[in-house]
Amino acid sequence: MSLLVDFVQTTLDGSMAGSAYALLALGFTLMFGVMRRLNLSFGAALMLGAYVAAWLHLNAGLGALPVAILTVAVATLAGVYIERLCFAPLRGRDAVASLVSSFAVWMQLEELATLMLPRHTNAFPGLMDGDPLLIGPFQLRPDQLAMLAIAVALMAVVWLGLRRTRAGLALRVLADQPGAAIAVGIDIRTTALLTFAVASALGGLAAFLILAGDRQVTPMFGMWATMKGLIAMMLGGLGSLPGAVAGGLLLGVIEAHAQLRLGPQARDLIAYGLLFVCLVWRPGGLFGQTLVDTEATARARL
Amino acid sequence: MSDAALSVLTNIGMISFVGLSAWVLLTVGCVSFGQQAFFGLGAYTAGIATVVWQLPLALALPLGAAIGAGAAAVLGLATLRLHGLYFSIATFAFAELCRIGIELFRYRTTRDGQPVGPDGVEGFGDIRAVFEAGLQPVDQLMLVWFLLTAAVAVLIGLERTRHGIRARMVGEDSVAAALHGVDVARVKLAAAALAGALAGLGGGLYAHLTTYIEPRLFDAMLGVHALAYGLIGGLGTAIGPVLGAVLDIGLLESTRIFVGTRMIVFGGLVAVLIILRPRGILDEALVRRSACLFRRHADARPRHG
Repeated sequence: MSLLVDFVQTTLDGSMAGSAYALLALGFTLMFGVMRRLNLSFGAALMLGAYVAAWLHLNAGLGALPVAILTVAVATLAGVYIERLCFAPLRGRDAVASLVSSFAVWMQLEELATLMLPRHTNAFPGLMDGDPLLIGPFQLRPDQLAMLAIAVALMAVVWLGLRRTRAGLALRVLADQPGAAIAVGIDIRTTALLTFAVASALGGLAAFLILAGDRQVTPMFGMWATMKGLIAMMLGGLGSLPGAVAGGLLLGVIEAHAQLRLGPQARDLIAYGLLFVCLVWRPGGLFGQTLVDTEATARARL
Repeated sequence: MSDAALSVLTNIGMISFVGLSAWVLLTVGCVSFGQQAFFGLGAYTAGIATVVWQLPLALALPLGAAIGAGAAAVLGLATLRLHGLYFSIATFAFAELCRIGIELFRYRTTRDGQPVGPDGVEGFGDIRAVFEAGLQPVDQLMLVWFLLTAAVAVLIGLERTRHGIRARMVGEDSVAAALHGVDVARVKLAAAALAGALAGLGGGLYAHLTTYIEPRLFDAMLGVHALAYGLIGGLGTAIGPVLGAVLDIGLLESTRIFVGTRMIVFGGLVAVLIILRPRGILDEALVRRSACLFRRHADARPRHG
């Protein structure tokens, strides 16, 4: 019985962490869907946002709300900078050019952040205090519950935005049929820029929620966010929005169980191992196999 | 030459091997973020060979290269059918798996009453074969650059052979190459193994000339730098990645101008260069033009005479 309680508790904890991964993966997927390019400096943009906010938290004593706004704002600006430097000038070129270019900007942003706050751990304001809620035999931290609620709400907003607004429609056309998008007069430059801004704002909010839970930010955060978002996206399937959410939750749950039973090093080993096996064995992940199959068929026909 | 200059030059030489390794895969159109794994495997293999197994350095370095080639071939078999981004991410995941694997790897023995060998995250120190052999810094520099020059010369020579031309065809357009009867999978696999061997050799040198290695050294940053060296220096010739390493380590890391902002400058340089010169400073067009310059003098007489 207690084994079952343990299992459910770990799964609950894992899916709370997973909801943050899902937000990161959602940002990644939005950018990938529109550009067919991978923005590796996504995590670094979020880290820069968090660092600017943490710097002002340290030096000006900003509270949780302004810190959240600042994190989102700076992350969005950094996302726009990345799009202008690494993606807009390289449109129509090889996918790897943007990949490497975005990695180069990753280094820039990360160094900029650590120049601002050179210490290894920096304080970050928490979202809320309070004792864990007890529901039956299970414990739930209120700040993690809040994170889950905000994450679910954000996913709903993104979903509605994509379905119900003109910009969302433009974005979907561009993702599905780039040629048709040009033909019907969709402004690709603006739509791409908007996508990056939205994705980075989404990521900025995810970063704030994660860091508020940890109460600190370290220079490892950029790498961490990129990796978690990337793995979650690949697990769910490149280019699929429901896949990003499912992949995030799956990664969170698997990591929580691995950490509990095997320790933190084994957790990372399993996360990367999962990514590798998934890529080699089923590159499309949970929901993206049709895209991979279409591309493979196209190549086979050639 | 001062000791500092010697050590910078030696360092450039050693890191150039990883750059060369990533460059070989770039020429066949594969972007690997994981060449640091083979550098690390080569470093640990060669280090274990001299320290734990007491083998001579002349045997340890080829062993490191062989392990690098073998591991790269295995990874190649699993991943070369993957396309573009999928391949890049798979190589990256593999390299991270290797790094965490090395963190968990312990292989300790006692030598002269002292415990030696790889010790997980604590690293692997006292790899002293080079110093016990009495090699001075100048000799070390010569060793590294002799091997590097040999590797670059072999690669440039390869370009003129059937194999080199096949590799370029695959890199240019793998579908067109397949239509011309080139076995694309075999070419890519051979390139992956060669790249692994180069990285493994560089790793073996690195382990012995720095005497201390740890898993952290072989993280993603090394892999990305290696990749960037080829893209900055140029994809047209094997000298490209060496030029890239000289620019980064020689100019940015070693001069005092960019202390603390090296990554900002280097990152910006890479981003702008990719926009302006997609295939690096020494790209194929430039290499071909300069080759024509030489050939015109050499070929002019027989053709018209």
